[in-house]
Amino acid sequence: MILELLGGNLAHGLLLGGVYGLATMGLSLIFGVINVVNVGHGQFIMVGAFVAQTMFTALGLSPLIAIPAAFVIGMALGFFFFYTVIRRLVEAPELTTLLATFAIGILLEEIAKLIFGADFRGYNWGLGKIELAITTIPLSKIYAFVGSIVIALFLYLWFSKTRLGTAVRAVIEDSEGARVCGVNVDWIYALSFAIGIGLTVMSGVLLTMFIPVGINPYMGGTYTLKAFVIAVLGGLSSPYGAFFAGLIFGLIENGAYVLFAQIPGVAPFSLTVSLAFWMLFFLLLLKPTGLLGK
Amino acid sequence: MKSRSCMAVAGFVVTLAFLFPMYAFGAKDKVVIGHPACLSGKYAKAGEQAVGGIKACIDWVNNVHGGVTVDGKKVPLDYKYYDCESKKEGVTSFIERLITVNKVNVVFSAYSSGLTLAGAPVAERYGMVYMDHGGASDRIFQQGFKYIVQTIGPGSKYHEGTLDMIHHIDPKVKKVALAYEDSEFARMTMGGAEKHAKALGFEVVFKRTYPKGVTDLTPLLSDLKTKKPDIVIGGGHYEDGQLFTRQMSDLGIQVKALSLVASVTLPSYYEALGGRLAEGVMGPSHWEYGVTYSAAGAKKEGLDWIGPSQDEFVALFKKAVGKDMIPEYHAAEAGAQVLAYVKAVEMADSIGQDKVRAALGKLKFMSFYGGWDVDDTGMQIGHSMIDMQWQEDGKRVIVWPPEAATGKPIYPKPAF
Repeated sequence: MILELLGGNLAHGLLLGGVYGLATMGLSLIFGVINVVNVGHGQFIMVGAFVAQTMFTALGLSPLIAIPAAFVIGMALGFFFFYTVIRRLVEAPELTTLLATFAIGILLEEIAKLIFGADFRGYNWGLGKIELAITTIPLSKIYAFVGSIVIALFLYLWFSKTRLGTAVRAVIEDSEGARVCGVNVDWIYALSFAIGIGLTVMSGVLLTMFIPVGINPYMGGTYTLKAFVIAVLGGLSSPYGAFFAGLIFGLIENGAYVLFAQIPGVAPFSLTVSLAFWMLFFLLLLKPTGLLGK
Repeated sequence: MKSRSCMAVAGFVVTLAFLFPMYAFGAKDKVVIGHPACLSGKYAKAGEQAVGGIKACIDWVNNVHGGVTVDGKKVPLDYKYYDCESKKEGVTSFIERLITVNKVNVVFSAYSSGLTLAGAPVAERYGMVYMDHGGASDRIFQQGFKYIVQTIGPGSKYHEGTLDMIHHIDPKVKKVALAYEDSEFARMTMGGAEKHAKALGFEVVFKRTYPKGVTDLTPLLSDLKTKKPDIVIGGGHYEDGQLFTRQMSDLGIQVKALSLVASVTLPSYYEALGGRLAEGVMGPSHWEYGVTYSAAGAKKEGLDWIGPSQDEFVALFKKAVGKDMIPEYHAAEAGAQVLAYVKAVEMADSIGQDKVRAALGKLKFMSFYGGWDVDDTGMQIGHSMIDMQWQEDGKRVIVWPPEAATGKPIYPKPAF
């Protein structure tokens, strides 16, 4: 029974981890390129969740269609906030950028509340389920996982096979060197920020395919915290590291519950949440740059 | 030198003598309710409802009741509130501000047991009557606070009706699972449910908590599924209630009864779950549109009646929030609290804190919200809870107690 439960939880954890990983790639990309820690990260995930919910309930469109739409909306938001706020702060002290992104997060929350109200929303995309011997998995979760893998692969190809992607990697390595080599670093900053936000908003859609309820203007805070843990775990400036760390985080979050539940008198779920932070603590002691960070 | 010191002391005494009545009794041209309201943050929905309910009843007091009678004179009620952002630090600082800067005459708590508990010591320090319409945990009343008075019912009673009803309908059912948020409110609620379940002969086969702000309940619900319970009781606040139901459905957990606190009573619960998944789910509630409390009923029970009728309250609420929406129990309990305060001030014929607190301790009345009476600690004992259930086509039906029921319960719950 325990092995069955563990297997089922690991299956769900792997699926969720893929979405967590994608949700963190944007954060890592932005930090890697322009050295800005986006404290408003979770609020952009919230925007994506509302895009999916609104498109489904108001327009009857599948979340699969909401994925590209969210990316476009996210990129537009990214360019807007870059040119209005972030551009002036690229060289500013870290505290300034922290405050600015924190403020952007609050702004997004309040705009969302103004438009959608404070209700907890959701949608019901009844695709059916797959009955496995160890657990039951809704198809929408599998779609979300596959979507995350496809998008991460697409990003990998873009980074490694295109001139723009190579330019972004060059700026992550050494922005001054890239500038000397003729890379338009300012444009790369803007593009990377926009792609980072686009990815984050898009991951909001994928998260709703996993958890299509509880969508509200203040849902972002929890995801910001998780994304920071995952980003540090993966190596702060490594989007791929973030993806793999997301998978590990999802597996731990779901799998450890079964093990802790065997200890009498403890609250296994609370211990599971703290385990991720303990793992982060030990990883930072052993490899401060994270799993794939340099 | 000596005469200068005497003059300084005299000046200080005169200033105090001038300020003290202002602080202690407030300006007598109006009576002011202060409120750290949750208008943003995780409790924004309940906060919006509470503010609407308070405004609706203030409207009734000022325009129908003619104001509050203090010292034989009718004065209007006023309302001063700040957005505490659903945060403890916001609650404590705004209560201090409301008392010292805005000179309010009474403080209403914020929503949730945690926030109510956070604000209680501040009100207590200033000897200010602190009225609790959003904190149901019994623990609030076990701290020895003198000035707190509750309108919402105590958390330990929330699921008694649910269990009584199931026991009444299906006495053979035995296996109960409790899965709930690790919060002050939910711990108290489930503690009460566990005690009552055991007293009725149920067997608690599963009892686990989940942390606040959880985004995935799969591990816990997978564990719960292995215990094959007949009844699941749980929840905490809002988003987790939706998540709980959704993921029970995802994992194919079929039970005869599912009852969750807080979230189920909101229309957004039904909508977020696409309707079908919510059908058959129950939730304890303090008030639902359709309850039958009336002036005639109060008379029959030998209680005073105050306030608008149910329909009048709904109309005033709609006017207050500027939206065509039916108020939920968070609005009703906050509104009823205004009426309790007004009754107590009129009974004491004073706005002095100790006199009002003493009057609240003796007060017994009925309003559109139901009965109101508190014990020596200030905990609500006069208000009965009801159980509502989502039924076909989004109908919210009061299913328990039988004397308040507007329809029959659907049992067993339809499969997800």
